[in-house]
Amino acid sequence: MNAGATKLAIRCTDVVKRYGTFVALDRVSTTIATGEVVCVIGPSGSGKSTLLRTMNGLETIDSGTVDVLGHTLPGPRRELETIRRRVGMVFQNFNLFGHMTVRENLVLAPMTARGLGRAEADEAAQKLLTRVGIGEQIDKYPAQLSGGQQQRVAIARALAMEPEIMLFDEPTSALDPEMVNEVLDVMRDLARGGMTMVVVTHEMGFAREVGDRILFMAEGQLLVDAAPATFFTAPEDERQKAFLSKVL
Amino acid sequence: MTFDLNALEADYPLVLQGLLVTLRIVFYAILFGAVGSVVLCLGKLSGRGPGYRVAVFVIDFFRTIPEVVLIFWVYSCLPLLFGLRMSAEVSGIVALSLFVAANVAEILRAGILSTEKGQLEAAFSLGLPAPTIWRRVVLPPAVRRMMPNFVNFLTELLKASSLLSTIGVAEIVYQATVLGNETFAYLEFLTAVAVLFFMLIFPLSLYVRRAETRHFKRTSR
Repeated sequence: MNAGATKLAIRCTDVVKRYGTFVALDRVSTTIATGEVVCVIGPSGSGKSTLLRTMNGLETIDSGTVDVLGHTLPGPRRELETIRRRVGMVFQNFNLFGHMTVRENLVLAPMTARGLGRAEADEAAQKLLTRVGIGEQIDKYPAQLSGGQQQRVAIARALAMEPEIMLFDEPTSALDPEMVNEVLDVMRDLARGGMTMVVVTHEMGFAREVGDRILFMAEGQLLVDAAPATFFTAPEDERQKAFLSKVL
Repeated sequence: MTFDLNALEADYPLVLQGLLVTLRIVFYAILFGAVGSVVLCLGKLSGRGPGYRVAVFVIDFFRTIPEVVLIFWVYSCLPLLFGLRMSAEVSGIVALSLFVAANVAEILRAGILSTEKGQLEAAFSLGLPAPTIWRRVVLPPAVRRMMPNFVNFLTELLKASSLLSTIGVAEIVYQATVLGNETFAYLEFLTAVAVLFFMLIFPLSLYVRRAETRHFKRTSR
């Protein structure tokens, strides 16, 4: 997708993250261009979620830098807030605000962080919910929705900030199998619309079909960076082969 | 010994007057104590520095000493130390305010600290400003979670307020004791006090029990 576009969205340079003596990220470097869909896969504990979370500063890093849309992390707090307003994030456990209706979940950030008026924010919320296929659920509370619906609300909530990049942290891992596709469909639409996306996932079918690039991580290292076709059909790295033999 | 309800007939307005004094004292203690509790809670949440150390000391101190000691101490030592002259009722309000501040600070802190990490991360990742995160994301569910603990404490406070009778505050137990002295109908007056306390506190206990069941149902789903 957007083969000609080379505008930089994210650049990770020698990113190191330690928890005590455990090295979660071991000098990870990569770049992600605007409009690219990059899927990060690997065994659990390989650092893929940690890497994703450094891209909006939810995870601090011990050395190296992460450049996001021209801002550099680690950086001043204001910079961090700016990045977060321009980068949407979707979590494994949805993390919707349970004491607010779907509508309130969607208008909160646009009204307080983007300065939208109530009517404007409301209209945008309705449009986004319709876009993710749950327009009629706007006045319900998250607990009244299925997991798949909640995750679609979470995607809509992130989109309400009109982000330039979307980060997905295992967005379908907490879902019942029959609800996985409704969420993947929404993500597929987003990708088709040209959204820059970084997706940590265990959905190999999705990675293969939608991803422009696959990043394979193990033990905190970025081992493989390849196009999906090469990645799935012509694995070279030993750990990649072992991983693929388990998941395919 | 007999139980003669007629003994109450002439003097029950005084008992009710005492009840009003009890409620007034509890009201002011909560009002002033709440302000103090927010300050103490923020101090303790700050996690370091002199504010933190003072808050931890104040909370631990006023939570550990017996209420009756606190009441006597405020009533008799504050005038000695600072030359403050306060009526018994004002002393009582000061003592109970300290009791409220220390205990409610811990209730607030527990409610705030039980905020799910995911809720905060969602708020951060949306780029919400800190005041909005506090006001819209952290506090509303935290307040809901702390309500049972707060109401529970309120019942303790109501009962503790009866200790003010020992310094001569004309609250309900004091009135009942005085009336008992005058009429020798101790049993009747103190029973009346017990009934009034039960009527005040039992609905609160019911609320707490219901809230806890609700919470249990929600979290065990």
